[in-house]
Amino acid sequence: MSGPDFIPADVRARLKALRLHGRRAAGGHGFGQHASRSRGAGLEFAQYRAYEQGDEPRQVDWKLYARSDRFFVRESERDSPLTAWVVVDATASMAQGDAARPRWSRLDAARALAACVFELALRQGDRFGLAVIGGDGLRLVPAGSGLRQRDRCLLELQGVRAHGQWPEESKLRPLWERIGAGHLAVLVSDDFDEAAVTLAERLSAARREVLNVQVLTAEERDFPFRGGRRFRDAESGAEMLSDAPSARAGFIAAFAQARRELAVRLAASGVQRTEYFLDEALDQPLRRLFAPQAADRA
Amino acid sequence: MSLGLLAPLGLAALAALLLPLLVHLARREEQVPTDFAALRWLAAKFRPRQRLRFEEILLLLLRLLLVAALALLLARPVLFGGRGDAAWLVVLPGADVADAPALPEGTQRRWLAPGFPPLESPLPSAPVATASLLRQLDAELPAATPVTVLVTAHFDGADGARPRLARPVDWRVVDGAPAEPSATPPGEFALAIRHAPEADAALPYLRAAVAAWQAVAEAPAADVNADADANAVVVERGSAEPIDVAGLDAALPERTRPLAWLAPGELPVPVLAWAREGGTALLASQATWPLAEAGAVVWRDDAGQPLARAAVLGRGRVVQLTRALNPAAMPALLQPDFPRQLRALLEPAPPAPTRASAAAYAPMPGGPSFPETPRDVSPWLLWLVAALFALERWVASGRRGVAA
Repeated sequence: MSGPDFIPADVRARLKALRLHGRRAAGGHGFGQHASRSRGAGLEFAQYRAYEQGDEPRQVDWKLYARSDRFFVRESERDSPLTAWVVVDATASMAQGDAARPRWSRLDAARALAACVFELALRQGDRFGLAVIGGDGLRLVPAGSGLRQRDRCLLELQGVRAHGQWPEESKLRPLWERIGAGHLAVLVSDDFDEAAVTLAERLSAARREVLNVQVLTAEERDFPFRGGRRFRDAESGAEMLSDAPSARAGFIAAFAQARRELAVRLAASGVQRTEYFLDEALDQPLRRLFAPQAADRA
Repeated sequence: MSLGLLAPLGLAALAALLLPLLVHLARREEQVPTDFAALRWLAAKFRPRQRLRFEEILLLLLRLLLVAALALLLARPVLFGGRGDAAWLVVLPGADVADAPALPEGTQRRWLAPGFPPLESPLPSAPVATASLLRQLDAELPAATPVTVLVTAHFDGADGARPRLARPVDWRVVDGAPAEPSATPPGEFALAIRHAPEADAALPYLRAAVAAWQAVAEAPAADVNADADANAVVVERGSAEPIDVAGLDAALPERTRPLAWLAPGELPVPVLAWAREGGTALLASQATWPLAEAGAVVWRDDAGQPLARAAVLGRGRVVQLTRALNPAAMPALLQPDFPRQLRALLEPAPPAPTRASAAAYAPMPGGPSFPETPRDVSPWLLWLVAALFALERWVASGRRGVAA
């Protein structure tokens, strides 16, 4: 944790190159910076259509009328605003960190990633909201925009403690009421809970644009343990005695396989997924998710 | 030089070596608890290996050494030999050291005195028990050590037999005068009498005996028997008050003077204490014998009937006459040698003669050889244990400091 807004200075500097964008940005809610499929008033020409009763006379393309003697209405693609949600997993497994960096847990990383997303959204004038799912159930900061909204979200993040298990389905119902169709939802989780993956899939199926940052520790990637260990899962309380050097190769293979399967599964349901290891720079996963794509840059 | 154990069973304490081993193994068996949420991809088949591994080898070694040293201490190790076979020169106090023969370098030069102090230390003044010291030296020294003894032509401290030693001794008679024993002057032999009123009748006989002693002391040439008749005038004539007659409650005399206790019944506690501390008490026949055992008969009359018995009480003696002190019960009272007999009863035995001629008293070979007296190693081992303990504490606390 660095500072009250969780974002280290160097990461903040590198955030300038990033831009939140949604593939399914929906129009209809005022003007924004995001390309949308909806037609209407705007800057980019989209098409002409025949005049219909009720169209404003100033929308009629009078030059075309002079040439063709018919009323056409000029339509353009509307730039729409985006609503970004950060869904933070705060179950007990998120409290895990690396022995090499004791005060940097998954949850700390999730807080910082969420703060980065808020910062991006704030800069673009988009609406953003926060949902924390943990042992306490669901805690929501309704979507809004502006500096005060960002501070509300950061304050909520400040109080989050990782404990307990993923709550039942029914407790997540407010989430569906808040995250509307077309909204962008960034799920920051370790994805070890099957329910979290299911939630991402179902949100995606319900026309929400879901991004998933899987936060993993460096120990889960490298398995650097020596000697006998008593491995303990904080959520289930299960324990396993193991000889780390012998179990290393098997674990790394099995875990990589599981991550590949997860990636395939999420990709099949349209969820964009990336991995963040705790020893990486904080903007790496955001860069992978939000880097300007060739089509956008053109 | 070889090491021996007086109590080899103490080595059973070596079993305690297991303790530090266990202490250093135990940490190996406990597993480091680790939070790990990705538990489900971890294969359960790898149990932690139970390797025989010890941590902190240096500390373990120190602890093992400490326990081993303690076990050795319990086994009471002793050291045989190792004192070297340098020759010994022992000099009787008073003998002239200048007459010593040429001896090799490293010769031990000692006085023939208790503890065998080196010649550099001051001359022991007290007379020494020469023969006894020679036997002690012979028994203590290793069998191969040659011994040279310098003695004066005559010396004191001999005893009943010529010393028979295990080794041949270079016995050299040299000039010099031995330390003279402090001869105790034959002081006046006096008697103190504490009597009950009813024992007055016995007083004249004792007075007469004391007077007879006085007469012998003043006129050694006179016929003792002639003066043996009770001559009480001597008492008044003597200036040193050779007889001290008083009631039972008078102060007790000094302990060099025998006390005649003429009263029936138990001896009072002060009198008993007086006798225990070195006094000689003569008890009348009516007095109760203060000891559990009967005592030895020391005087019999012509018919062989016991007249007196004696026993040691503490550092002193008690003597009891078995008959009442009157001529009817004890005709010996009237015999001319009664003063001499009484004195023999009360006087301590004269010391045995100890002076011998060195030439005639040369030790004979062929004596019994003694097993060598081993040296005790325990003090050194104790220091080793203390040092090991200090080192162990230092290493142990140092490690902890680094960890903290």
